[in-house]
Amino acid sequence: MPTAMRSKGFIAIALLPALLIFLTFVIVPVFWSAYYGFFSWKGFGDATFIGLDNYTEMLKDPVFWRALRNNLILVVSSIIGQVPVALILAILLSKNSFFTRFIRSAVFMPMVLSTVVVGLIWGYIYHPQFGIANYVLELLGLESWTRAWLSDPKVNMLAISIPINWANIGPYMVIFIAALQNISPEIHDAAKIDGSAGWNKLKSITLPMIWGTVVVTIILCISGSLKAFDHVMIMTGGGPARSTELLATYMYNSTFAVYRYGFGSAVSTMIMVISALLIGLNYIITRRKPS
Amino acid sequence: MSSLTTGSGNSGFSKKTLLKGLSGFGKLLLFVYAVVTLYPLYWLFSSAFKTNQDFFSNPYGLPTEWMTDNIFRAWELGNMGRAMLNSTIVTLAAMVLTIIFSLLAAYALSRFQFRLKKVIVMLFTVGLLIPIHSTLVPLFIMMNKIGLLDTYGALILPYTAIELPIAIFLGMAYMSSIPREIEEAAMIDGSGWWGIFGRMILPLCLPIVATVSILAFLRFWNDFSFALVFINTQSLKTLPLSLSLFSDGFGTDYSLTMSAMAIAVIPTIVAYLILQEQIMKGMVAGSIKG
Amino acid sequence: MRPQRKIGLVLLIMTLILAACGGGQSSNQTGSGSSTSEEKVKLTVWHNFAGDDLRAQTVRSFIDQFAAEHPEVTLDAQAIPTDGYRQRLSTVAAANEMPDVFLVYAGSQSAEFHQANLIQPITEILDAHPEWRDSFLDGAFDPYEFEEGQFYSAPIAMSATSMLFYNKALFEQHNVEVPTTWDELMTAINTFNDNGVTPIALGNKAPWVAQSTIIGAIADRVTGTDWFVNAVAQQGAKFTDPEFIEALGYFKQLVDNNAFQEGANSIDNTQAEQYFIQGNAAMMISGAWTLTNLAASATEEQMKDIEVTVVPAIPEGRGEANTITGGAGGGMALSSRTEGKAKELALELIYTMSGPEAQKAIAESNSMVMYDTEIDESKVTPLYYKAFNLVKSSGITPVYDAYLSAEAAEVINNGLQEIMMGGSVEEVAQRLQDAQARSATP
Repeated sequence: MPTAMRSKGFIAIALLPALLIFLTFVIVPVFWSAYYGFFSWKGFGDATFIGLDNYTEMLKDPVFWRALRNNLILVVSSIIGQVPVALILAILLSKNSFFTRFIRSAVFMPMVLSTVVVGLIWGYIYHPQFGIANYVLELLGLESWTRAWLSDPKVNMLAISIPINWANIGPYMVIFIAALQNISPEIHDAAKIDGSAGWNKLKSITLPMIWGTVVVTIILCISGSLKAFDHVMIMTGGGPARSTELLATYMYNSTFAVYRYGFGSAVSTMIMVISALLIGLNYIITRRKPS
Repeated sequence: MSSLTTGSGNSGFSKKTLLKGLSGFGKLLLFVYAVVTLYPLYWLFSSAFKTNQDFFSNPYGLPTEWMTDNIFRAWELGNMGRAMLNSTIVTLAAMVLTIIFSLLAAYALSRFQFRLKKVIVMLFTVGLLIPIHSTLVPLFIMMNKIGLLDTYGALILPYTAIELPIAIFLGMAYMSSIPREIEEAAMIDGSGWWGIFGRMILPLCLPIVATVSILAFLRFWNDFSFALVFINTQSLKTLPLSLSLFSDGFGTDYSLTMSAMAIAVIPTIVAYLILQEQIMKGMVAGSIKG
Repeated sequence: MRPQRKIGLVLLIMTLILAACGGGQSSNQTGSGSSTSEEKVKLTVWHNFAGDDLRAQTVRSFIDQFAAEHPEVTLDAQAIPTDGYRQRLSTVAAANEMPDVFLVYAGSQSAEFHQANLIQPITEILDAHPEWRDSFLDGAFDPYEFEEGQFYSAPIAMSATSMLFYNKALFEQHNVEVPTTWDELMTAINTFNDNGVTPIALGNKAPWVAQSTIIGAIADRVTGTDWFVNAVAQQGAKFTDPEFIEALGYFKQLVDNNAFQEGANSIDNTQAEQYFIQGNAAMMISGAWTLTNLAASATEEQMKDIEVTVVPAIPEGRGEANTITGGAGGGMALSSRTEGKAKELALELIYTMSGPEAQKAIAESNSMVMYDTEIDESKVTPLYYKAFNLVKSSGITPVYDAYLSAEAAEVINNGLQEIMMGGSVEEVAQRLQDAQARSATP
């Protein structure tokens, strides 16, 4: 039997490579960048220390709040849109037949395509003149519903959240499928004997067994939504008039479009603080559930 | 799992047909969903063979004239042969590192109690939250100082680092549902931790390894920002850079862009199909054991 | 003070540890190419002429020519996709690792680089070729003359940003006169709308488009050029002045009369060009890039109905009619760190890329230059030839974002989108004024 000493050695060596790479290439740059957040710096030339000015300016900027609101829309829509759908698909598709294999691959495809393609095709679906969305609405006799989906500020954030959710269901489904397989067959047998199936089985057996994975997927949803960037950059660039700006595009534009590197760094630090708060909240909420 | 449906044989006949009907309808729904989801793929490949005029005047249909020439021109102009080789090297290397390091770390974090555990888990949680663009400039300066810039390493190491948190969390979540009895039995046999990890845990982790691989592959294969900034030498450039060559800010050559993207997406589809089989093999193995 | 220093040390230590653990990837260092013998000079040049279009090919061919003529140079030429060019350059600027020669845009980018001492003048190569220097059009060096008599780049492009393209066939079909005054323009817009034809195609997803192509031309006609120059300097004029509000009002008038197709803010410039060329819209106000794009992607059949003229006059305004907004476009700049023999050769490279032959060849690749050259009509598209002569015979007035600070340009770009969405003209003017005032008085 391994001794305590040997366990310690194992733990240290098992963690060391991951920690080293991670600290060097993620944590250090992050703190470094957070440090720039206290400077007025263009990204080159001289920097001036300005304390918390970047942060106070950010908090006063209505665009920051709009971006935050848009991000929160994404967080909520991804948690209620992606996680349940991915879980249901995973349960339905974790058998291995030709049919399920085909559907599984199909569900995953938008993820395989680069975000550029997804952005472009949805740009076409929403196209104000030739778009499929408007065409379908006209076919259904709902002409009053047609609009320029991506430029109408009342609906554009919602319109954008659909492709983002749609594209991201695939990975969550795969994660759930992997987790579902880990439920040992004995448990399925036990469930059979109990006569529990369907919703009951999901609630009392499946969910508790994969609860750890559910929590992780929710965390991934939160952090992913707060970092969301590519799809919006391609579909709207954060516009029109910054109505679809997200925190990450807000940061990107500050850093690379208007040469305010210090301010951009402050924004990215803020993104991390907000995600950390939300994830902490998620831990508190999900801990009460069965484990 | 397939035993589930037959297992309900003791319930009434009518209920069974109802269930069948429901599952038929469900299947239809799934099928429609799948078709909708596959449409962009069709769109990408049909657009790849269109002329620019065709792309605009006939955005949804098949090409009026098949321009196979697009593919060759995109391949040549984008230097895509070399770029694909580079992408493959970088992606595979980073994937291997990610998998080995993350599984080891996940195992240590999910099975042992030790003093710094909470701190380390927190650190990795922070890693999930990082908008990658914020690390560009610090990473550039740092890698420039240590001479790592403009090598494959300049991509492999940051890619690995960025993917580690997700991989570790997925690994931890997965391992937490592997019963501890497996290890206890092995310990009685006298295996050390390395033996247990290598012989017992790793094989059981195949589905999550495949899952992590898919996610990692997609991220590394499609990354634009790091590839843009950390690589200088033409011969080291990766695929995503070839994809945006045909757009100059004032206009976009859509037919070449689509062709380049169609070329670049094929390896990802293949990778996904292979890895998906691995996930499923894990499942089959599990059910046989039972 | 440089924030990166302290952290750099910590990093260095960490990485040494990492390298000691065998994680270093030094084996991947490419050996090829770096084996320079002593007398070989290494030069790097960065540009964004990466695509397949004629101009990109032309510029690249001059780089190749330089490489062939100078075997003593190891030339590392990098064509960087435009999408990432700015970001890439900003990142290397942060580490003070600029390439020897690189393309800069006229306006805030080159000004910022100059301010941060990242570039040095190329005056000596201009003085070495006086006939070349003197053949540039008036104002060619304006964006690059940061100190009196010191030029930091020579433009290899002209940004003529506001030409009125129109579809002759649609005008004839609906019996509309090609507008020469604002009132005629409004009549044309209303007639086309009544007949179900989009009056003006606009792809303003990237928000600089409306600013660069439309507002500059309108505003100059209303306020006159002097007012704008003063407003930029924040001396005796403000963007909240009534004349500028009036100029924005004209733009709003276009919006209110549905001059643009629905959803103009969500489609890109290429899509708008195609919408126009396919005969869905009667007009398009756009820049020289449209000539390049159409030459590459439109059929002869589509092109034969397209004509080009200037934006209609606004008789009540203080500015001149018959002008086009424009000015020097991007040019090659020289890193301030390049010295000695490398500098000599780098200047030579800049001359090859922007000299008389290059200017002529670029002009003949359907893109405008800031250089007095004759072009061979048979080598270019008929539309380009018309535009080329139109620009030669028109006055040139400033493009807004070439003069505004980066931040103010961002504000007016987004402001125009806001007006298109029903926003208030006064508020946009106020915000523009605030932003420009912030950067004009540091």
